[in-house]
Amino acid sequence: MEHSSEVKTMGTELGKYKTCVSARSTNKEILKKSQDGGIVTQLFAYALEEGIIDGAIVAGQSDEPYRPRPFIATTVEELMTSRGTRYNISPNVSWIKEATRSFGLDKIGIVGTPCQMQAVRKGQLYPVGLRDVPDKIALAVGIFCMENFPYQSIKQLVEDHAGVKMESVKKMDIGKGKFWVYTERGAVVQLPLKVTHKYEQPGCHVCLDYVANLSDVSTGSVGSPDGWSTVFVRTKKGDDIWGKAIAAGCFETKPIEQVKPGLELVSKLANEKITKNQKTVEERATFGVNKALRNPYISPK
Amino acid sequence: MSKIVEISPTTRHEGHSKLVLKVDDAGIIERGDWLSITPVRGVEKLAINKTMDQVPKIASRVCGICPIAHTLAGIESMEGSIRCEIPQDAKLLRIVLQCANRLHSIALHNILILPDFYIPGTDTKVNPFTPEEPVRSVAKRIQRLREIGQTIGEIAGGECIHPSNPRVGGMYKACTPRAVNKMYDLAKEGLTLAHEQMEFMLAVINNMRKRDWVEVGGKQIPLPKTLGFHNQGVMAAHPVYASSNLDENPGWDPKRWTDVRPWDWYMGEGEVSLADPSYPIGGTSPVGTKVNPQMEACTGVPLYDGAPVEVGPRARLVTFKNFDEKGTWGQHIARQLEYTDSLYAMIKALDEYNPSGKVLADNIPQGDGSLGWAANEAPRGCDVHLAKVKDGRVLWYEMLVPTTWNFPTCSRALAGAPWQVAEMVVRGYDPCVSCATHMIVVDEDKKIVAQKLIQ
Amino acid sequence: MADKIKAGHVHMSGCTGCEVAIADNYGGLLTLLDKYVDWVYDLTLADVRHIPKMDVALVEGSVCIQDKLSVQEIKETREKSAVVVALGGCACYGNITRFGRGGQPNQPQHESYLPIGDLIKVDVYIPGCAPTPQMIRNVCVAAYLLLKGTKEQQELAKKFLTPLMQLADRSTSACGCDLMYDVINQGLCMGCGSCAAACPVRAITHEYGKPNVNREMCIKCGACYAQCPRSFFNFDVITEFEAILELFDGALK
Ligand SMILES: Cc1cc2nc3c(=O)[nH]c(=O)nc-3n(C[C@H](O)[C@H](O)[C@H](O)COP(=O)(O)OP(=O)(O)OC[C@H]3O[C@@H](n4cnc5c(N)ncnc54)[C@H](O)[C@@H]3O)c2cc1C
Ligand code: SF4
Ligand code: SF4
Ligand code: SF4
Ligand SMILES: [Fe+2]
Repeated sequence: MEHSSEVKTMGTELGKYKTCVSARSTNKEILKKSQDGGIVTQLFAYALEEGIIDGAIVAGQSDEPYRPRPFIATTVEELMTSRGTRYNISPNVSWIKEATRSFGLDKIGIVGTPCQMQAVRKGQLYPVGLRDVPDKIALAVGIFCMENFPYQSIKQLVEDHAGVKMESVKKMDIGKGKFWVYTERGAVVQLPLKVTHKYEQPGCHVCLDYVANLSDVSTGSVGSPDGWSTVFVRTKKGDDIWGKAIAAGCFETKPIEQVKPGLELVSKLANEKITKNQKTVEERATFGVNKALRNPYISPK
Repeated sequence: MSKIVEISPTTRHEGHSKLVLKVDDAGIIERGDWLSITPVRGVEKLAINKTMDQVPKIASRVCGICPIAHTLAGIESMEGSIRCEIPQDAKLLRIVLQCANRLHSIALHNILILPDFYIPGTDTKVNPFTPEEPVRSVAKRIQRLREIGQTIGEIAGGECIHPSNPRVGGMYKACTPRAVNKMYDLAKEGLTLAHEQMEFMLAVINNMRKRDWVEVGGKQIPLPKTLGFHNQGVMAAHPVYASSNLDENPGWDPKRWTDVRPWDWYMGEGEVSLADPSYPIGGTSPVGTKVNPQMEACTGVPLYDGAPVEVGPRARLVTFKNFDEKGTWGQHIARQLEYTDSLYAMIKALDEYNPSGKVLADNIPQGDGSLGWAANEAPRGCDVHLAKVKDGRVLWYEMLVPTTWNFPTCSRALAGAPWQVAEMVVRGYDPCVSCATHMIVVDEDKKIVAQKLIQ
Repeated sequence: MADKIKAGHVHMSGCTGCEVAIADNYGGLLTLLDKYVDWVYDLTLADVRHIPKMDVALVEGSVCIQDKLSVQEIKETREKSAVVVALGGCACYGNITRFGRGGQPNQPQHESYLPIGDLIKVDVYIPGCAPTPQMIRNVCVAAYLLLKGTKEQQELAKKFLTPLMQLADRSTSACGCDLMYDVINQGLCMGCGSCAAACPVRAITHEYGKPNVNREMCIKCGACYAQCPRSFFNFDVITEFEAILELFDGALK
């Protein structure tokens, strides 16, 4: 497969990228429990086996259902246990230094939301407290994100609004304008997104990135058919690894132009998010009476 | 008539110190005072009523060159007080960390002293930062050795400057098999380089001790064969690691330690009467400068068996390995011998380490105020911390750091040398002055307080 | 490349850990000295006793205001340096010296330690305890480009240094509480975990995604706040991370 080194941008809302495709893993095992096309798990599994990374920071399991806990996977089996989206916070970056310490990693993989990708890149350029970490980020995989939630929000959405016990949830998903809860017994509950809004994490309302512009490779469901994922390949590193993974037969791909709903929807949602949040950022400047709330994009003051 | 020369500040070591030297007509030192002029940050006093977990983290920040020693001695003095035995695998990680720090510290000291030495067979002194060979290859090797030490320290200790992994009760995190392998491979690489570097340094040192003179500020200054000799004893608690009050046969004894204030030890008021503007770099202090070591000294004077002692690599080798070289050259040689020793000890600890073993004690008592102490063999000598912990809080804390022990000993060792080489004697101790800003007021019977200083 | 800049290390009441961090650029330190920087002052690594004129002074440690020499030296540093960088937690925020309260022999009157910014104007902050070799390298290379680079390089260097200048302007105190005051209380935290990763004493844990600071562990180094992407995030620089990282890495190869 040909990789162009030229960088395309479809307006800045999608960030810089070299290629964009619709894809899914060719490994049926992965797809059984992946959120969408199993891109994240497959890419890390390939990179682990090839020695491109020697471990990946993912959202692992905890002692409460659907509450993630950052976890360093160093085998494919461990990666498999972290498949699927948990719609609440997994502070994956908190392990980025420890990974290079007691875990002894030299080549770290990390998955995260757009803001977490921002944290990784800030950490590489301004490693204030991240000694010897910057050159050890081997593969940063971003996942699209409209917003995240506190754990309690998800619990209330699932248990109060959807009327499902957390323990019996098989999968949660946000798509097609709805919040979906699938149960082990096959029931499906959908909630309109207007119900979920109040539960969102406040910090998400100043977030100006939908498709993880600063990752090496970013992925999400939007733009592609069910079971498939939209993938942006962004950096030299990302391009190199993605190219090799394709050559190794890890993924089936389709040109993004040929799938429905395609890139236009991605672009539309990205613009919606950025416009809405840009407005929030601006409103913060006059939030009080001659008193502003902080704007991190201007100054740390 | 003797004259007074002052070199202030001294260079190429950690911290702020100065030399006040009484010299005879031939410029030979009759009496030397080497003293710290680093402000006293008062860690022992600020520790009072803070938690036993936080105090060692603060104590680490006393010095960025021997932070490992301070962290470990601090923690182990707390563990000594609360009587907490830590798991074996935690102890092994601490030993790895200790050795890693020693490796980097010896290499750093090489950079600091090399400008005093000649490239063998030439009259050219070594500038460690010159891009010219053969020096550049040596500098690169030194930096690689430091990188190996610091990287291993980072893995075992969380950070290599101010380690984050050690804690009261053991360690926060065990190292994975991958981390252990990485440290092992680095140690093996280090061993080869350390052998080469040790041989190089020994050649440079032996070349120096054969010389009759050394050039200082454009003049040829005679080099005495007995440079840095003194008649004081040595003190070392352990060949590599540490001893504490929890040991069956402790390597240090608080009963043998007393303390005097600088008032009784250092020279009183005086005035510089000899100045040499050609002394590198920028000359000595001008004639007429007032000096007053008694008042200016920022450290106390600890004694072991009633006398000052030398601590450091030479003290360790004399105590545990029948080493018999003396003076400045003896110190330098001993330090180079510890290059490979530290790596062998590290490799042994890594071999014994079990990655699935536990690293935190099941039960961490909160303390009843009993005295605990730990004497850690820091790169530059024995670093003793003493603590009393009650209900998890520090009631009392003291740090007897290596350079504090060495200040008075080194001051004595200056006598008999031309004043122009006094800084070379100082550097033989690899001093760490920030550490040493401290004095002790402990001895229940003697109650020595430096009241005269508050005026 | 054009001529080198003159830089040095000024040691106030610090522990020399910041200086070790400079040296921990390992082979890169040699390249830095070969190509970019004349190291004109440094009591530990070099043989200079008195503060000369410098383009960039990296100051480690806070200032004991009861010690005349220290006060005199920090003022002299300001007079003689074009750019003053506060290197490390003590110089920026006081760090552990914020706990100092005197009373210790042999100088019991040494009671008050101030971050250098309380006595002189500081241009750039590099927080952290210890600061990291990579951060020091990046700032040194940026300072070099600012003073000696082409027009575009100067632009880039300025953009890179701006948030660190703003940090210097922001405050002379910081601790884990800043995450509460200026991130969570301001509705900005998104739970990335950078703060916990940055903390050198493991004072920060994440409880349901948000930081909890153990205030009886925190040493007041300010690393967490500076590392947080919601303290500052300059899109124009960070978006170009690939090229800029290549530049920084390449500079010391
Ligand atoms: C909060 C949130 C909001 C999202 N919003 C959108 C959206 O609006 N539009 C869209 O197209 N896609 C969104 N996604 C991404 C989507 O849900 C999938 O995660 C993504 O498509 C990857 O699926 P996959 O099959 O390739 O990955 P899998 O192979 O299933 O792997 C998923 C990976 O994501 C990690 N992960 C799971 N939860 C979290 C978490 N909370 N934080 C960090 N990492 C996590 C897992 O550890 C795992 O490694 C969102 C994801 C999250 C976490
Ligand atoms: S919306 Fe933005 S801030 Fe919130 S979790 Fe997603 S990427 Fe992070
Ligand atoms: S670093 Fe991340 S988790 Fe910590 S306060 Fe900032 S946004 Fe929140
Ligand atoms: S919480 Fe940690 S990183 Fe933050 S200021 Fe305190 S010690 Fe520094
Ligand atoms: Fe020290």
